[in-house]
Amino acid sequence: MTATIVAQQAINGIVLGSLYVLVALGLTLIYGVLVQINFAHADFVTLGAFSAYFFMHMLGGSYLASIGVALIVGAALGWLINVAIFAPLRRRGSELLPLIATIGVSVMLQNAMLSLFGPVPYAFETPYSQQVFRVAGTFFTMQSIIIIVVSTATIGLLYAFMKFTFLGKALRAVSQDRETAGLMGINPNQLIMLTFVLASALAGMGGAMLAPVLVLTPFAGASVIVKAFAIVIIGGFGNVEGTILAGLLVGLIESFTTQYLDPGLIDIVVFGLLLLMLAFRPTGLISERREENV
Amino acid sequence: MRMPSGLMLALGVSASLIASAAVSNAQDKTIKIGGLLPMSGPGAYFGAQDKQGVELALEQVNKTGVNGYKFTIQYEDSACGPLPATQAAKRLLDQYKPDVIIGEECSDATLAIMPTVEQAKIPLINAGSSAIKITDPGNPWVFRIMPNEVMQGVDIATRAYDRLNARTAVLLNENTNAGIGNAKVFKETFEKLGGKVVAEIGFGRDVNDFTSIATRVAGLGKVDVIPTYTLEGQGLKITQALAQAGVVKGGDGAAIQLGTIWLPFGFEQKAGKAATGYVRIVQFDPTDQRPLVRDFVSAFKAKFNADPTHINAHAYDQIMLIADVVKRGAKDAQSIRDTLATTKDFVGVTGSVEFDKNNQNTKMDTIHYMETKPDLSWTALKWN
Amino acid sequence: MSEIAAAPESIYSRASALRRLGFLTAALVIAALPLVLTGSYWQTNLTVCAINVLLALGLDFILGYAGQLNLGQSAFYGLGAYVSTLLITRLGVPFWGAFAAGVAFAGLAGLILALFAVRLRGHYLAIASLGFAVITYQTLLNWISLTQGPLGIYAIPAPPSVVIPGLPTISFRNPVALFYLVAGFTLLVYFILDRLVRSPIGETLTAVREDDISAASLGINAAAWKVFAFGVGAAVAGAAGCFYATFVGTLVPDAFFITESFTILSMVIVGGMGTLIGPVWGAIFLTLLPELLRGFGDLRLIVYGAALTLVVLFMPGGLVQAARWVKTRLGFAREAAR
Repeated sequence: MTATIVAQQAINGIVLGSLYVLVALGLTLIYGVLVQINFAHADFVTLGAFSAYFFMHMLGGSYLASIGVALIVGAALGWLINVAIFAPLRRRGSELLPLIATIGVSVMLQNAMLSLFGPVPYAFETPYSQQVFRVAGTFFTMQSIIIIVVSTATIGLLYAFMKFTFLGKALRAVSQDRETAGLMGINPNQLIMLTFVLASALAGMGGAMLAPVLVLTPFAGASVIVKAFAIVIIGGFGNVEGTILAGLLVGLIESFTTQYLDPGLIDIVVFGLLLLMLAFRPTGLISERREENV
Repeated sequence: MRMPSGLMLALGVSASLIASAAVSNAQDKTIKIGGLLPMSGPGAYFGAQDKQGVELALEQVNKTGVNGYKFTIQYEDSACGPLPATQAAKRLLDQYKPDVIIGEECSDATLAIMPTVEQAKIPLINAGSSAIKITDPGNPWVFRIMPNEVMQGVDIATRAYDRLNARTAVLLNENTNAGIGNAKVFKETFEKLGGKVVAEIGFGRDVNDFTSIATRVAGLGKVDVIPTYTLEGQGLKITQALAQAGVVKGGDGAAIQLGTIWLPFGFEQKAGKAATGYVRIVQFDPTDQRPLVRDFVSAFKAKFNADPTHINAHAYDQIMLIADVVKRGAKDAQSIRDTLATTKDFVGVTGSVEFDKNNQNTKMDTIHYMETKPDLSWTALKWN
Repeated sequence: MSEIAAAPESIYSRASALRRLGFLTAALVIAALPLVLTGSYWQTNLTVCAINVLLALGLDFILGYAGQLNLGQSAFYGLGAYVSTLLITRLGVPFWGAFAAGVAFAGLAGLILALFAVRLRGHYLAIASLGFAVITYQTLLNWISLTQGPLGIYAIPAPPSVVIPGLPTISFRNPVALFYLVAGFTLLVYFILDRLVRSPIGETLTAVREDDISAASLGINAAAWKVFAFGVGAAVAGAAGCFYATFVGTLVPDAFFITESFTILSMVIVGGMGTLIGPVWGAIFLTLLPELLRGFGDLRLIVYGAALTLVVLFMPGGLVQAARWVKTRLGFAREAAR
């Protein structure tokens, strides 16, 4: 009995954690390259979720295709926020200005969605969320298998892109050492744009993946953003591998805190861990050569 | 430190608004209603639905007027929080000068503005906050037309013990004033009857995935009932997760989920097969065959192209109660309060209203027990 | 410091005379405001403004002067509110005793957090303070036996009336008197902080902000000064919390959710950080804006969000810099016209 409970909560935590990873990776990418935070990132998740919803339920598209739609919507939003907010403010040098400007964007987006879509939660049904498998006392849905497969594939692709392509290497170079990157003849502006598009595409896609799990309202994304911040930090700012590990870890903390303590204590455990990390291992779960930021 | 010009402008504009309102007052007799409702943030869930019910009711009463009075409303966003509700209430009282106010939905916001309306001597009609404190002790200016947390909780716990022969329960509640308050009353009553609460699981409104909670409940062994205190959004996720974990009847388990009046009509359709066997109380039954309800449902469908929820219905009843009070001769804040207090036989779409000395509606005919059938329709259990 | 000492005596004294005039004007404006804005709605907004100014001043001292990003202001605000209220309602401690305890507790929490985080630079301190804010909020929410959590604390009393023989009793149940109390306290804090940033301490802080290493070479213990600034800023937020509780009369943890920290940060940035007058205007602007936009109905917060974004985009130096720019342009135009 106890073993199956532990196994079940491990499954629950990993499914939830992979969703968190998708949301947090975008924040990490932007932070890694720019040392800036897009506060509206969570609302891109929500917009991704809604675009998937409307693509499926109004246009009759399939769920898997709707993930692609959300990805494109997210990418477009990433392009827009860079052109409208981050690029104009980059010359000013303060990392706080884009933060505050995107707080404004976030308020605007949430309330625009409230006007457009209303506050009543949408039931995002996929053909997969009611398909339950029962194996050795544990249970999981087809939806959770899709979540694991798609997010693993996405994370794998992203990882391969960062490791093996020229652009990916350039991104890593910029995030690790901006001056050297400049010397390598990389156009930082194009790289930054790429970062925003990638990061926000991940957010949009994460929205489509989260939509059947989330309580889908205009405030849906905002409910995961605090955890996403924690994941980015525990993972060690801008560190992709660390973020993946931290995301899964936070998912597991959530399921095991629910099982053995109390769901009300999830954030206390997560942020308690975060403070401990800061105290004893401020470089994050996996340290890179990023001493200049410590 | 100059006064900001925007402030001056706003003062000027509001002064002229007040002036024009005064002029129109002189021409025809108007009862001014203040709508203190959450319009922003997650609480907009209530405000948006309240507004629909209000608009429909006003359209109907203003066709002919009541005793020569027309009704107008001004909404202020009170955002489900003590400070924004205070600001919104003072703005209404200062600038719109209502004869009566309806609202708030969240208990803490309602409690926060009660001293303000009492001081201003403007009656407040509430239909959404369940905290016992609102009418116990309450104040002479605040009226509640729905059953409070004690009335609801005692009734559900007793029926669960008597009718469902439940002896063990797991409580699931959101960590809000209403969630904690209702769960507490259930626990006290259920344990006094001899039942056992196996676990109490509270969670924030930001929890999305309930698989872990369902897993924990599944690990507790045999449980008879699972009283659940959440709003629609989290409620859907909980019911589905409990079914997936094989805990409740909708997932071929044994436990019966018990629900409160918080869930709207149509919840079953959104939740799907997982909702089978769910027993819950509703304060508004859109399948009710009374002509009053039929007329309301068809008018609502015609106007908004949707079935009304209990929130729509409550807001509608609040306006209709005000119209009824005016019909009985009330014409200003003081007389509306006094006439409200003597309400005995008002019949609304959610049920009837009769206030006790604390201005709490004592009528329990607003509570109907429903069970969800496998085809997702309702059966009335006729327990009350 | 050496520059000021070297400045001609006349300029120095003229500046301080102007400063004194400024405080006098501010005091007069505060005195006049509730007489001009007689409705209880605007009087409520005035007090909210005063509380938010206090919060923004506290944050600006940490951020604008000591250069430490603090995202935990909502926690210090909440601690001040809850500590003072619980002392009053549970132990019957008199208001001003509870007030002092609330301020001290918040300040101490700030000191301890800063001691822990001071060896971490830049974003790590911001993150530690954010973590502290989340944990504080969740503790207020979940420790129901102590704080009542979401059930809330109600009917929090007003500060005790002031009785001066021969004068009418001043009761703080009167919203105008309460506004005078909060605004007067805020002005006092402004005055003290103003003295502080103009003193050698202010210059030390600025040196720490600009460059840790060269500050160290001057024999400045940068860590100690950061901790000091953090403690002061947190204590000021604690005072704001005490006033909030007695002003609203109701306490629920949601008022101190971490978004409040970001709102306070927005006030400082929009006003112009690193000046004391900037956060004052920033706080007033962002407090009154959503109220002035109530006429927009459902579009209210869309417009608010857009306005916040546009202000940052087009006035990146804050309202203060924008005002300075306008002043020089006007001055220039006047010169040209002459």
